[in-house]
Amino acid sequence: MAELHKIIASVKDALGVGARSNSHDAAASAPVPVAQSAHRAALASTFARELEAVGGKFLGILTPDEVTNRIVTLAGEIGAKTVALGQGAVSDMDAIGEALERADFRIVRTIPVADTERAAMRERVANADIGIADADFAIASTGTVAVVSNGDRPSSLTLLPPASLVIVQIDRVMANLAAVLAELGPEGVAANRLTLITGPSRTADIEKRIVLGVHGPKSIHVIVVWPRDD
Amino acid sequence: MAEIPKARDFFESSRAAVSDHELRRKLESASARHLDHFAEVKAEFPAYDDERDAAHRIKTGAIAHLDELLIELKSKLEARGCKVFFAEDAAEARGYIVELAKGRGAKNVVKGKSMTTEEIELNGALERAGIDAVETDLGEYIVQLRGERPSHIITPAIHLSKEDIGQLFTDKFGIEYTAEPEKLTAEARSRLRTIFLNADFGVTGVNFAIAETGTLVIVENEGNGRLSSTMPETFVAVMGIEKVIPRLEDLSHFLEILARTATGQKLTTYTSFITGPRREGDLDGPREMHVVILDNGRSAMIADPVIREALNCIRCGACLNVCPIYRRIGGHAYRSVYPGPIGSIISPNLFGSAAGYLPFASTLCGACKDICPVKIDIPRILLHLRWKESAGEHRLKWPRAIERARRGARRFAKMARHPRTVRALGKLAAMVLKPFAHNGYLRRIPGPFGNWTKYRDFPRPRPHQRPAPGPERPPG
Amino acid sequence: MTEVQLFSTCLAEEFFPEVNDAAATVLERLRLKVTPVRGAFCCGQVAFNEGFRDEALDLSRRFLNSVEPGIPIVVPSGSCTSMLKIFYGDLLADDPALSAKAMAIRPWVFELSQFIVNVLKVKYIGARYERAVAYHPSCHLMRELGVRDEPMTLLSAVAGIRIRELRDREECCGFGGMFSVKFPHISASMLEDKLARIRESGAEVVVANDCGCLMQIGGGLSRAGDKIEVRHLAEVLAARQG
Ligand code: SF4
Repeated sequence: MAELHKIIASVKDALGVGARSNSHDAAASAPVPVAQSAHRAALASTFARELEAVGGKFLGILTPDEVTNRIVTLAGEIGAKTVALGQGAVSDMDAIGEALERADFRIVRTIPVADTERAAMRERVANADIGIADADFAIASTGTVAVVSNGDRPSSLTLLPPASLVIVQIDRVMANLAAVLAELGPEGVAANRLTLITGPSRTADIEKRIVLGVHGPKSIHVIVVWPRDD
Repeated sequence: MAEIPKARDFFESSRAAVSDHELRRKLESASARHLDHFAEVKAEFPAYDDERDAAHRIKTGAIAHLDELLIELKSKLEARGCKVFFAEDAAEARGYIVELAKGRGAKNVVKGKSMTTEEIELNGALERAGIDAVETDLGEYIVQLRGERPSHIITPAIHLSKEDIGQLFTDKFGIEYTAEPEKLTAEARSRLRTIFLNADFGVTGVNFAIAETGTLVIVENEGNGRLSSTMPETFVAVMGIEKVIPRLEDLSHFLEILARTATGQKLTTYTSFITGPRREGDLDGPREMHVVILDNGRSAMIADPVIREALNCIRCGACLNVCPIYRRIGGHAYRSVYPGPIGSIISPNLFGSAAGYLPFASTLCGACKDICPVKIDIPRILLHLRWKESAGEHRLKWPRAIERARRGARRFAKMARHPRTVRALGKLAAMVLKPFAHNGYLRRIPGPFGNWTKYRDFPRPRPHQRPAPGPERPPG
Repeated sequence: MTEVQLFSTCLAEEFFPEVNDAAATVLERLRLKVTPVRGAFCCGQVAFNEGFRDEALDLSRRFLNSVEPGIPIVVPSGSCTSMLKIFYGDLLADDPALSAKAMAIRPWVFELSQFIVNVLKVKYIGARYERAVAYHPSCHLMRELGVRDEPMTLLSAVAGIRIRELRDREECCGFGGMFSVKFPHISASMLEDKLARIRESGAEVVVANDCGCLMQIGGGLSRAGDKIEVRHLAEVLAARQG
């Protein structure tokens, strides 16, 4: 286990973040073989570095218990009043929503809509301060999250609000783009709309100066989840 | 219809452009930034050259089987619920989209960045039908506000400074003048956001179409492509026939190089995979989706084995940034939708021989071929096009001085077939011109190459100093 | 003695005869018997680049009939070398007989620095040249032939030479053959930048391997009344005195 601790520590070092509560427990309780855990941690570390290099914010490798708290804290940090979320692919969005509501944030829940409700629902998502969505995969080499959208998890969540929070499971962090496309496979890609997101929306159209937040979110925050029972 | 560019117009516009030092400064600084970023991302990606080879191979193979791939793509698109329209030329493509927009009662058309819709001049056609189309890529938005065309295929407003854009926004929107890119971008964002939420008809280009799955892939940084393809009820994707690739597994090779060369990023911010219209219950995505697949001269390019290679182009724009000529005259001087090295190949093929002067506007220095992520041998194709133009029936009308120079070159070539004669003439010229030379150079030379001495001196011809040791070996 | 064929190229023959002398001198010092290719005057590149294929074909035929495969053909020009080695393939595609001949000589054609460094495997020729020199790599030499380091290898082995760094040296000088006459304004703008870089390098002499570049850069320097000189690489390699 010692090795794993080192890697997690070096992830934190690399990111310049201080120790977080509980992460030690999370690592210590992981029953998976060291080699595999080490590999995952290394990929997550690369992912974190690349994400930050493109202007994204890495919120850490957290246990499922920590995720909800971290989200509530983040919403406060960015001064959000309204948070939009749908269903998770893995995450328990209901629990997250409830926690946010308890902390006095307004919640917009996206649900499958009829045509007549579409415009109103979008308006609400657009007016939220942050959208939360699960990613299906992440790409370490480029700091990318791959988000499949559907009725429960509309693409708007990662597009319309000015900030975006994406949650991805650590075993879904792949080395590179080819690996993610191979995992999804032709049917996986074709089944729904898939979006690869690499950092915040940006432009360099004015004198090649990079400006963030053109049409999409100005900030993107990513949490990597390390399940307790993994 | 597009104004037909003429050689003389190019001559004049390029002359005006080279003396525009402000334009030069903007182009140089933009391309320097681009090349710096590119060098960085390339240095830390050892697989770059392998990916380039793979991309080149896949694209070449795809073009070689384009017929089959297009059939497969069409059936897959239709199976996913798309309407597919093959347009033989620009007019057909325009007509289809305009009719569709009219039929749907479209009021607010939003457009993602697309060179193909520039090629078919869609905006003008929609406008004539009384439909407003708003460009939503920031750079495109800016040039549209100015009533211009993009001057670069990746960075449409590369010819403008932030001050130019600040002034434009003040003039158009009556807002307080600012030249801060952040503020200008925020202004555009809020104006376009309102438009997006009310948009009923969206049009974008396509970067890759995967035949195997019927998936369209769109890469972008801003998010306007995502918005244009998810907000409106009707969505039209416009693509050239050459955008199709066989399988999903081919895609990563292109995506690994495209952003690196185009913008110096590892991957663009957004890569959207769109397979058909929205599903039951979806919040986002169009109710109906149309794919317009455009030929407009491309199949004729395939017919020529040399020119065919140009269809490998993934429109990364890098060849423009390294081109010493593009960097001096900018995109508008080319007088074609597609400027720069690759534009000089595509334009005469898509817009006819009137643009046949473009392949000649190159020193063939090869910087474009060096950087091209799909390894298109641009100088070689330019040479091929020069030959086709010179051998063609509908010759270009060159400005007089150029015509004279070309005839002079031809005469020289005919003369050079007879080495003895040409050597004797050379000696004669040396004798005649000797008195006019200063320090070995002539200030002015007469004849077809007289343009040379407008800008520099010409070395004086000199006879041989070293007697040839051997006898002249007769040919054959 | 081992023989080489030396092809002058039309520009050198007419405007820079000392280039051929120097190239021959260098090759002779390397104990080679130098036979000039006298049966051809021009490789045909001017015509080919303008799209005049028939004329280019005639010239290529004459060239191919004036040389012998199996004996190295050395050319003091990257541009003409790439015409002979690479573009003859395109030009002659429809003429099987000539095409075969072009293929036969192809491995025997070398640009001068390429020949000395890569074939003869020689770096040091015993030249002495006591000047401050900036090297301008010509485009075809670099990008068609892939000859990037060879000229510098040779220059750095010249006694007394002071090499000056030329910023943006891989930028085209703007010559481009007929381009310089057809679009002289663009060509001159490129030249202007090249001259600025040359001046800031502090060089007394600009060295290139192509007479086209020498014409363009030399003509620009002369027009500006500049004292900086242009020299072909061969001239520097042949020099024995400062
Ligand atoms: S020709 Fe090559 S470098 Fe130029 S835009 Fe196309 S892909 Fe990019």
